[in-house]
Amino acid sequence: MTGDEQHIMRAYDRDLEAIQAMIIKMGGLVEDAIMNGTASLVNRDTELAEKVRAADKSVDDLEELINEEAARTIALRAPVSTDLRIILSVIKIAGSLERVGDYAKNIAKRTSVLAEMRPISGSDGTLKRMAREVQTMLKDTLDAFVRRDEALARDVINRDQDVDQMYNALFREFLTFMMEDPRNITACMHLHFIAKNVERMGDLVTNMAEQIVYLTTGSRPDENRPKGDRTAFMDGVD
Amino acid sequence: MVNKVNNMLDDARLKDRTMTGTDIKITARNVQVHYGTSHAIKDLNVDILNNTVTAFIGPSGCGKSTFLRCLNRMNDTIASCRVDGEIKLDSEDIYDKKVDPVQLRAKVGMVFQKPNPFPKSIYDNVAYGPRIHGLARSKADLDDIVEKALRRGAIWDEVKDRLQSPGTGLSGGQQQRLCIARAVATEPEVLLMDEPCSALDPIATAQVEELIDELKQNYSVVIVTHSMQQAARVSQKTAFFHLGNLVEYGETGQIFTNPKDPRTESYISGRIG
Amino acid sequence: MTDLSSAPGATPAGVRKPHSLYEVDALTKRRNATEFRFRLYGIIAIAISLSVLALMLFTIFSDGISAFRQASLSFPVTLTEEKLDPAGNRNREEMAKVTTIGYSNLLKENFAAYVNSQGFEVEGLTDAMIGDMLSRDAAAQVRNQVLADPELIGTTIDVTVLANGRIDGYLKGRVNREEALRDKNVTPEQLDLTDKLVDQGILTVAFNWGFMTRPDASDQRPESAGLGVAILGSAYMMMIVLVLTLPIGVAASIYLEEFAPKNWFTDLIEVNISNLAAVPSIVFGILGLAVFINFAGLPQSSSLVGGLVLTLVCLPTIIIATRASIRAVPPSIRDAALGVGASKMQTVFHHVLPLAMPGILTGTILALATALGETAPLLLIGMVAFVGTHPSAPIQGFFEPATALPVQVYGWASRSDPAFLERSSGAVIVLLFFLLIMNAIAIILRRRFERRW
Repeated sequence: MTGDEQHIMRAYDRDLEAIQAMIIKMGGLVEDAIMNGTASLVNRDTELAEKVRAADKSVDDLEELINEEAARTIALRAPVSTDLRIILSVIKIAGSLERVGDYAKNIAKRTSVLAEMRPISGSDGTLKRMAREVQTMLKDTLDAFVRRDEALARDVINRDQDVDQMYNALFREFLTFMMEDPRNITACMHLHFIAKNVERMGDLVTNMAEQIVYLTTGSRPDENRPKGDRTAFMDGVD
Repeated sequence: MVNKVNNMLDDARLKDRTMTGTDIKITARNVQVHYGTSHAIKDLNVDILNNTVTAFIGPSGCGKSTFLRCLNRMNDTIASCRVDGEIKLDSEDIYDKKVDPVQLRAKVGMVFQKPNPFPKSIYDNVAYGPRIHGLARSKADLDDIVEKALRRGAIWDEVKDRLQSPGTGLSGGQQQRLCIARAVATEPEVLLMDEPCSALDPIATAQVEELIDELKQNYSVVIVTHSMQQAARVSQKTAFFHLGNLVEYGETGQIFTNPKDPRTESYISGRIG
Repeated sequence: MTDLSSAPGATPAGVRKPHSLYEVDALTKRRNATEFRFRLYGIIAIAISLSVLALMLFTIFSDGISAFRQASLSFPVTLTEEKLDPAGNRNREEMAKVTTIGYSNLLKENFAAYVNSQGFEVEGLTDAMIGDMLSRDAAAQVRNQVLADPELIGTTIDVTVLANGRIDGYLKGRVNREEALRDKNVTPEQLDLTDKLVDQGILTVAFNWGFMTRPDASDQRPESAGLGVAILGSAYMMMIVLVLTLPIGVAASIYLEEFAPKNWFTDLIEVNISNLAAVPSIVFGILGLAVFINFAGLPQSSSLVGGLVLTLVCLPTIIIATRASIRAVPPSIRDAALGVGASKMQTVFHHVLPLAMPGILTGTILALATALGETAPLLLIGMVAFVGTHPSAPIQGFFEPATALPVQVYGWASRSDPAFLERSSGAVIVLLFFLLIMNAIAIILRRRFERRW
C-alpha cells in the first residue's frame, strides 16, 4: 500500500496499512449508505432507511478510531514525508467520509418523512443518477487512494461538474413543481435538501480526491477546478 | 474501543499490533538502590510482562539503567551498590542468598550500550555462552544452537558464509545484532537492553528495533533508552523514571498521547531535562 | 576600557570588529609565532637526541667492531717426543705434567725456525722477538690439542694460533711504530716482520668466533678473552627471571586488579609496588647478598642468585605493566562475559587475560631487557669475579659461577691494556644486539597478539 519499499521496522508498515484499511472499510460503509439511502428514497423503503441511519453509528466510530490511530502513529512513529502525508490525508479523508455518511443518513431521515407524502414523479430518476454518480466518484476516489492513482483522482475532481449540473437541473425542476402546486412544497423542499446533500457529497468526495492528489504529488491541485453549481446566481424560473 | 473495532474490522494487522503478553515475568516490590550514600532508586514497584517490550525512559541519572542492572544483578560487580526490596523472576527472589548470579544471568541475558563482541570469531562469540553453560552435548548441537541464535538475531544471512571471521570486523549494527544473538544463545527468558542503539546509525538502529519487535514473541524484553522516539517505536509498555522514582508506567500509546502525570508530559514533550 | 574607548574607531569589549579574512591580525600572528617556536623546540630536541645517539653508536662501533676480527698465525709445528712426552708411553696423565711453558718454548722455537726459513730480512730481529709474537694462549691451545690426541706426538702439524694482542692491535691500527718504541711488549722489528708475514699469508685476520665462545682471559692475554661465560650467565639469569617473574607477576596483577577488595591494605600494597619499581637496583643487590648468599647460603656469583636478584628488580615493573594492560581491557568486554553468565574467573581467563597478553608480554620483555643490562646488583653478589670456565648445562649450571654481559663490560673497561677497551666496546655491541632482539620480539608479539575491540 505504501509503495514497493517497506520500512525496516515492519510494525510501522502494519500500523500504516491498518489505518488505511480502516479508511477503505469506512469508505465501503459510506458507499453502502449512499446506495441504500437513495434506494430507500426511490423505493419508499422506510425499513432500509432505518438501517442506513443505524449504520451511520459505525462510520462515526470508525472515524473516531482512525483519528485515534493517526494520533498514535504520529506520537509513536514520528512519520515524515510520504508517511506524514498519508497520516494527514487519512485524517482529512476520514473527516470527509464522516460528513458524507452524515448526508447519507440525512437522506434516510428525510426518506422516512417523504414516505408519508404524495410522491413527486419525475425527480427520482435524476436523484438516483446523481447519487450513483457520487457513489462512483467515491469508489474511484478510494481506488485512487489505494493505488495512489493521481490521474484517477483528477478525473474524479472533474466529474464533480456533472453532479453540479444535475443539481442545477433538479433545482429548476423543484422550483417548477413548487410553483405548479403549493402542496408539493414540503416534499419538494425535502427533495431539494436531499439533492443538495448529494451535491455536497460530491464536493466532499472532490475534496478527498484533492487530498489524494496531495498525497501522491505532495502539492495541492490548482483551485480553478470546474464548478457547476450555479443555483446561487438563479433568481427564479424564466 | 480497540476491541469493538477489532470485532468490526476483524483486521489481523490491528490484532497483531496490539498483541502483548499478559503473564507477569518480573515483579519488583519496594526496590531501593543505594550507591554509597546516594539513593539511586526510591521505592520502586513494577510488573514486567512476558512477551512484551517494556521501555524505561527518563532523563540521565534517573535510575533507569541502575534498575535494569538490578534485574540480572550486574550491580553486584559494583562494591558500593546496595539493593533492598524484592525482585522476583517467575516468583523466585533473585536476590535470595541461594541464587548464584551466574545462573541468573544465563536466564536474564543482557545487551549493552556499545556493541561489545568478544575479539573472537563470530561463531565463538555466539558459542561462548552455550559452552560455559554446557548447553551443547556435541559439536553438531553447538552448530545448531549457533545457527538458531544467529537467525533469532536476524544476522544469519549476513554472516553464514563467514562464521570464522572475527566478530569485531562487522559493522556497528551487525555487531549489536551479533551481541543480541550471543545473549539469545544461552536461551534466556528475559532480555535486558541498555541503550542498545545509542552507538548505531539510524538504519542500523531501525534494524535492531525491528529485531527487538520480533524478539518479543519469545522473550520478555526490557529496554533502557534515551530516545523517547525509540521507546515509542518498539515498546508496548513504557515506564518513565525521574530522580529515582518510577513516575508513570503504562501502555506506550497512552504514555505518548495522553500521559497521566504532568512530569511525564513535560519530559516527553521536551519541557524538562 | 577607558584606553580602548578613547582610541579612535575602538569598539567596546566583547564585540568583534569587522575584519577581512585576508588580513592576519596581531593576535593570530602571535599565536602562529608561538606555535612555530614550539615546533622548532621539538625539532631541536629530536635533533639533539638523535645526534647523541648517533655519536654514542659511532663511538661504540668504531671502538668495538674490531673485537669481532682477530689476527692469527699459521705455521707448521713439529711435536717432538722428548719434550712433550718424556716417558714416551702416550699416557695422558704423564703428558699432562708438561706445562704450557714447555709447549710455549716449543712453539716459539718452531715459529722462529719457520720465519727464518722463509728468509725475511729484518734488521735486529731476534728469535725471542719472533717467538713473542705468538699469543700466550697459543701454548694452551696446542697443549689441549695434543692431550686430546696423543698420537700427534712425533708428527709435524699445521697450527693456527692467535697472534699477540700488540700484533693484533697493530693490524687494527691501534698500535703504531712510535708507541712500539716506548712499549716493552712490542718492538718495531716485530711490526716490520708482521707486515711481511701478512704479505706471505702466514698472518691473517679473520672473524673472531672465539670472542663469542671463549671465557674471560687474564690481563696478559686480551686476544683470547671472550664473552662465552658472560653470554651463558646472562642467558641463564634471563631464564630464571622469566620463569619466576611471569607467573608471579601476572598472578599478583590479576588478583590485585580483578579480585582484591579495594581497601587501605590493597592501596598500601599498590603504593609499595610503585615505590619498589623506583628503588635503585643496587639495593636489591644488597638484599640478594644478605638473603640469598649470607642467609640462604646459595653459591656466590652463580646465575641462580643473579637471576633471583634480577627477579626482584623486575617484578614491580612487570606487575605495573601487567596491571596497566589488564586495566586497558575495555570494561565492556567484562560486562559482555558477565552478561552471558560467565563467572569472574572465566571472565578473566577467557577474555581479559588474552586481551591483556600483548601488553603483558611486551612489559615482561622490556623488563627482561632492563634486567639484561642491569649491572649494579650483580657486582654485589660477586658476579664480577674472574670466571675462566664455562658453567655447565642447566640446571647444574645455575649453581656454578658465571658472569653477565654488562658486568663483563664493566670488568674489561677497568683493565689497563687498551686491547680490553676494544673488547669492552665489542661486548657492548653484543649486549645492544641482544637488547635489540628482545625489543624486536616484544614488537612482534604485540603485533601478533594485538586485536581490535
